[in-house]
Amino acid sequence: MAPAIHPVELVEILRHKNLTPAIIFLTSRRACDEALDAFQRSSVRLPQNRCETIATFLKDLADDYPSIVDHPLIPVVQRFGVAAHHAGHLPSWKIAVEELMRKGHLDAVFATTTLAAGVDFPARTVVITQSSVRKAKDFSDLTIGEIQQLAGRGGRRGKDLVGFVIVTPSPYIDLHVLAKGLTGFPEAIESQFVISYPMVLNLLKAHPVDHIEGILAKSFAQFQLNQRAEVHQSHLDSVHEHLKPFGPRECTDWITQWQVYDLARRRKSQRRPLPYRDTPALAAQLPFLTSGRVVGISKGRGIVLRQYRSRGQRYPMVSVLRSNGTVAECPAMLVTHIYDRLLEFTSTRSYPWCTPGTLEWLNQEMTQLPPRLPSLPILVDKEIQEDTQLTDVLTDEFPCPTCPSRNACRKDHSTALKLRQKSQQLTKTVQALRTGLWHRFQEKADILQHFGYLTPSSHLTAEGEWGRLIRIDHSLLITELIRMEAFAGSEPSLLAGVLASIAHDDDRPGSFLRMSPGLSSMLNQVRAVADSLASYEDPPLLRSDVAALAERWIGNPELKWENLVRMTNMAEGDVYRLLARTLEFLSQIQSLRETHPELADSAKMGITLIRREVLEELP
Amino acid sequence: MTDEELISFLEDLPLRRLHVLARGRVHRHFRMGKQRLIDVFLKLPPQIRSALEEDLRSTTIPIKASPPEAQQPRSQKKSSRQLQTPSRHPGKSSGEPSTTVADLLEGLGVPPSTTFVPDPWQVDAVSQLATTDVIVSAPTGSGKTYVAVEAMKQAMAKDSTVIYTSPLKALSNTKYMEFSHLFGHEQVGILTGDRRDNAQAPLLIMTTEILRNLLYDAASGEIDLRLNTLGLVILDESQFLADPERGVVWEETIIFCPTQARLLLLSASIGNPQELADWLTSIRPIPCHLIHHRRRSVPLRGAYLHPAGKLSPLFKSRDITQGAGYAFHPETKRLFSKYELETFGPRGGR
Ligand SMILES: Nc1ncnc2c1ncn2[C@@H]1O[C@H](COP(=O)(O)OP(=O)(O)OP(=O)(O)O)[C@@H](O)[C@H]1O
Ligand SMILES: [Mg+2]
Repeated sequence: MAPAIHPVELVEILRHKNLTPAIIFLTSRRACDEALDAFQRSSVRLPQNRCETIATFLKDLADDYPSIVDHPLIPVVQRFGVAAHHAGHLPSWKIAVEELMRKGHLDAVFATTTLAAGVDFPARTVVITQSSVRKAKDFSDLTIGEIQQLAGRGGRRGKDLVGFVIVTPSPYIDLHVLAKGLTGFPEAIESQFVISYPMVLNLLKAHPVDHIEGILAKSFAQFQLNQRAEVHQSHLDSVHEHLKPFGPRECTDWITQWQVYDLARRRKSQRRPLPYRDTPALAAQLPFLTSGRVVGISKGRGIVLRQYRSRGQRYPMVSVLRSNGTVAECPAMLVTHIYDRLLEFTSTRSYPWCTPGTLEWLNQEMTQLPPRLPSLPILVDKEIQEDTQLTDVLTDEFPCPTCPSRNACRKDHSTALKLRQKSQQLTKTVQALRTGLWHRFQEKADILQHFGYLTPSSHLTAEGEWGRLIRIDHSLLITELIRMEAFAGSEPSLLAGVLASIAHDDDRPGSFLRMSPGLSSMLNQVRAVADSLASYEDPPLLRSDVAALAERWIGNPELKWENLVRMTNMAEGDVYRLLARTLEFLSQIQSLRETHPELADSAKMGITLIRREVLEELP
Repeated sequence: MTDEELISFLEDLPLRRLHVLARGRVHRHFRMGKQRLIDVFLKLPPQIRSALEEDLRSTTIPIKASPPEAQQPRSQKKSSRQLQTPSRHPGKSSGEPSTTVADLLEGLGVPPSTTFVPDPWQVDAVSQLATTDVIVSAPTGSGKTYVAVEAMKQAMAKDSTVIYTSPLKALSNTKYMEFSHLFGHEQVGILTGDRRDNAQAPLLIMTTEILRNLLYDAASGEIDLRLNTLGLVILDESQFLADPERGVVWEETIIFCPTQARLLLLSASIGNPQELADWLTSIRPIPCHLIHHRRRSVPLRGAYLHPAGKLSPLFKSRDITQGAGYAFHPETKRLFSKYELETFGPRGGR
C-alpha cells in the first residue's frame, strides 16, 4: 500500500462524508502541486454549474488582478474544485484561491504549513499529514502553537456546527506530537530580543546614553530576565539566611581569615614531603660522606660504604661498615665526626656495596687506624634558605591558633565557605541577568564606534546620522558599501542586482543566470567587504543568480514577467518575493536623499522600474 | 509484566521513546518501525526484558493534567511541560466508553443563521479598552477581528488615528480589503515595505516593521502628525513576539508605542498571556487587562483516516479539549500500528 492516501481518494472521502470544504496541509510545495497533477489524471469532475460559478468568479476577480487571467491552474480549479496554496504562487493567485475558498466554491485546498499562521481562510475540515516541518535546514516537530494554528482553521463560525481535524499518516508522522499539539496548551512566549546596529543608532539618536539602560529595561526580554533574576535572588536570600549563624566572630571576616590560615597550614604540611631541605650543618657534611670516608658514629668508628636517601624519607642515610665488621644503616645526621681519612675503593651497586674482597680489606684497614684521627673542619653556610620557613612564620603569626573561637571556626569553616561561594556565584548570576542586555548594547555600540558611526561619547557621527535610516538586515554591510562609494555612478539595475543578492536569504538551489560584467565585479567587491565584516555581521548569501534576475528585470523594461520567470527555475512566487524585497531595500536607500542624492535617485529609478506588470498589481 | 501489558504500554509510546528504550538493547534498532521494535522487545532475554520494564515504569508514571488556569512561573517551566505530557489515564475518558464513527460524524452541518450577537468576552474586551490596554487571547476563528473593528470604530469616532499591524504582507492586504469594505476606501490606508496607499487615512494598516520605523523617526524628532493623534494600536497575531528573527520588532513597537495610545494585542496561541499583560502593565502608564477566552466557538473533533480509506475517531473522546490529556481511540491505535507495520515492514528498514 502507498505510504500515504491518494489525494483524489482523500477528497472523494471528504466529499462523501460531507466534510468539505477542507484544507489539506502537505509537507512541501511539490506535494501540493503533485496533488493537483493527480486530479488532472483522474476522472472525477465537478458538476457543470459549479464549474461555471468558479469560472465566472475568477473572471470577475481578474479585473483587479490581471495576472490571474491565464493562470495555468485555472482549468484544474474549475474542473475539480480543488486548488493549491503555497509560497511558490504569486500573491494574486493566492488571493484568488483564498477568495474562492471564502465564498465556498472550492472543496479542498492543498497548502503547506508554512503559510498556516495568519492566513485567513477557514474550512470545515483540516487534514494534517505530518508532525514536523522543515525549519532552516532541519526538520523539527511542529510546536503546540503551530498545530493549533493549523487545526484552528477547522470549523467556521456561522457556517459549521462542528469542525474536524483529520490526521492521515505519511511516513515520519508522530501521532503523539500531533495529539499533544491538539490537546495541550500553547508554549509560553520567550522573548527573542536582539540588539541590532540600527537599534543602537536609533536609540542613541533619540536618547542620551545614560537613558539607554532604562529603555532596555522596558523590554519583555528584561522583564523575563528579571523574573529569572528574582528566582536566583530568592535563592540567594535563603543562602544569606543560612549564612547568618556564621556572622562575625573574633574577627569580622573569619571565613577568609580561617581560609588563608588553613591554606597556609596545609601548604606548610605539604612542603615536607616535597624536596627535603637538610639543615645547613647536615647539608655541609653531605659532600664528605662518600664511600671510603672514615667517620665517627655514636658506637665507635666506621667507614662509609655509600650515601643514599630512600624515597619518602626525610633524612639522608649512610651505610657504614662498623669496626665489629657489621654493616649498619645510619642517618647521616648521627655521624658525629668526619675524619680526614679516605680509603678509596670501587663501590658496587648492591649490598654490601663493595666486593667481598674490598670488605675484607676495609675491615683490616679499620683495625689498623690510629686511635686519634684528625677531624675535618666543615664550613657551615649560615644563611638560612627563607623560602621553606616562610609559611611556618606566617602560620605562626596568625591569630587563629590561639583564638578563642578557633574550634568553632574549624568546625564551621567548610559549611560557611560553601555557602559563601554559592552566594557569590548567585550574586554574579543575578548581576548578569540584570545587566546583560546593557552590556550587549555596549558591545554593539563599541563596534559602531570602531567603524565611525558613533563618537567616543556615544553621539551619532555624520555617518551615523544617515546610517540609522538603513533598518534592514545586513545594515552594516550596506552602510559600509555606501561609505566606500561602491555604488557610485552605477545604474539602477546594478544597485538592484546587488541589493537583491543581499536581500535573498533562501538557499534553495537556483538557476545559473549570467550577470553583466559590471554587476559581476561589483558583487565580487561586495563579497570581499561582507567577508571582512563577517565577525561583526553574518554575511548574506550573495547568490549571483538572483542578482542577475533582478538586474534583468530592472535593466530591461521591455522584459515580460513570463519571460523573466522562464529564465530561472525559481518558483514564480519566489521571484515575486525577491523583487518585492529588493524594492524594500531600494526604498531604504531612497531615504538617504539628503546625504546621498545621486544614490537615492538611482534607487528611486530602480523602484519605478521594478514596479510593472505583476509587481504593480496589488498587493 | 505480561506480554499483553508490555505491548499496551509500548504501543502508547511515541516511536522516539521506543528507540530510546532500545538503545544498547537492540541491535540496529534505529532501522525498525514501531511494530517490529515491539516484537523484538518481546523476544528479549528475561534479564534484559526486566531492565527494560524497569525503565518503562520509571518513565511512564501517570501524571495529572494541569488545570487550565495555571500560569506556571518560569522557574517551573519544566514541570509544567511534564504536566502536559500525555497521561495514560486522563481523568475524563478513562471510564467512559470510546466514541464511534457514527458519533463522530453526527450533527455536522450549517447552523441556522441568526442575528449577530457579540460574545460576552468580545463586549468585555471592547469596554475594557476604554480604560486599559488589552490583550485578547482567544482560539482561532473565535472573533478577535470583531474586537479590533469595534475598537477602531470607537477610536475613529474620537478623531483618533488607528494603526493596525499584522506580521504578514498577505494578511495586511486581506485586512486592507476587509476594512476598506467596512469603513470606506478613503478611511483606510496601507503601508508595507513595498506598498503605500492613502498614507494619511485615519485607519492605517501596516506591517509591524513599518510601525517600528515610524516610531523610531518620531522619537528622533521627525514629527509625524499621525502619531500625535494616535489613539489605538492593534497588533494582530502577536504570538510573533516569539519569532526568532522578527520578534524583537514587536517588543520595540510596544516599548516605543506613544503613551496616549491604547494597545490591543490579539492572538490565538500564546501560552503565557498573563505574563505578557504583566509586562505591559509594568512598562505602560495604564494597566493592561487580559481577556482570556479558551472555548472554541465551533467545537473541534478529531478523526484518523487510514490510507486505505477507513475513518476512525482519533481519540477516545469525540471532542478535542485542551488540557485534559488524551487517549487514542483503540481502533486508531490498531490502524496506525498496522500502517507502521505495512510502511516500514516487519523487518524494519525505512
Ligand atoms: N459573536 C459572534 N457571533 C457569530 N459569529 C461571530 C461572532 N464573532 C465573530 N464571528 C465570526 O467568526 C468568524 C471568525 O472571526 P475572526 O476572523 O475574527 O477570527 P479570529 O479570532 O481573528 O481568528 P484567527 O486567530 O484565525 O485570526 C468571522 O466570520 C466572524 O464574522
Ligand atoms: Mg484574526
